Amino acid sequence: MDYLWLKALHVAAVLVWIGGLLLVAVAITALSLSKEVAEASGRTAVFAVRRWDRYVTSPAMLLAWGAGLTLAILGEWFRSPWLIIKLVFVLLLTALHGLLSGTLRKLGHSDEPPASFGLRHAPLLIIISVAAIVVLVVVKPFDGDVWWG
Amino acid sequence: MSPQERAEELTQLRRMRAVSLLEGSTLLLLLLVAVPLKHLAGVSVATHIMGPIHGLAFLAYLWMLVQTVSGGGWSRSETTRLVVAALIPFGAFVNERALARRQAMLGGSG
Repeated sequence: MDYLWLKALHVAAVLVWIGGLLLVAVAITALSLSKEVAEASGRTAVFAVRRWDRYVTSPAMLLAWGAGLTLAILGEWFRSPWLIIKLVFVLLLTALHGLLSGTLRKLGHSDEPPASFGLRHAPLLIIISVAAIVVLVVVKPFDGDVWWG
Repeated sequence: MSPQERAEELTQLRRMRAVSLLEGSTLLLLLLVAVPLKHLAGVSVATHIMGPIHGLAFLAYLWMLVQTVSGGGWSRSETTRLVVAALIPFGAFVNERALARRQAMLGGSG
């Protein structure tokens, strides 16, 4: 597949993934601030967000990873420091997605609002990580350097 | 645990087991087929294909593990065991067995 088409696919998948991730994060933040989970409206919201996460956000994440890894191999980017730093942020977002997704699953059958332990700040963490990734990809700092190989 | 809750837990365990097997199988293919082909026969195309596929399977496996554990119902020692096994080569097969035992305990078919 043409490199630019693959890049477009990667960007589209990332947009859908991050949008869905923010949706889960904001939903959990909202539920952690209220005691509405046990009520019908809270349950319906959790169900709708979970469905979206399972059928749209999670496949988009896998597609973003798959297309991204292929781009890195085709473009021989793995020696570039900016990509290595970017991967740290992407791994952080992936782990956060797993954590949020699991918490949402727990909320599906629990009457208790989620324990806060920092998940309340997940939307901010996502925005900071995404901003860092965009700077790394667009500016490509240390581009002349090669860390190994 | 309500029947619906149990059904969801069983579905999650089934998915997690499938991803564990996928991760372990891709590692086996990489180490037992692709790497020997590269070093003994000079055919590197197999590692170029299997490397990223295994990388993706490993990521999906770790992601599912975080999701499964953060869904609740796992003790601290069980969580530690699952995470440590996840980072050891072929630990996915060990975890798959642990997940199968939990599935059987919950009343699902192993």
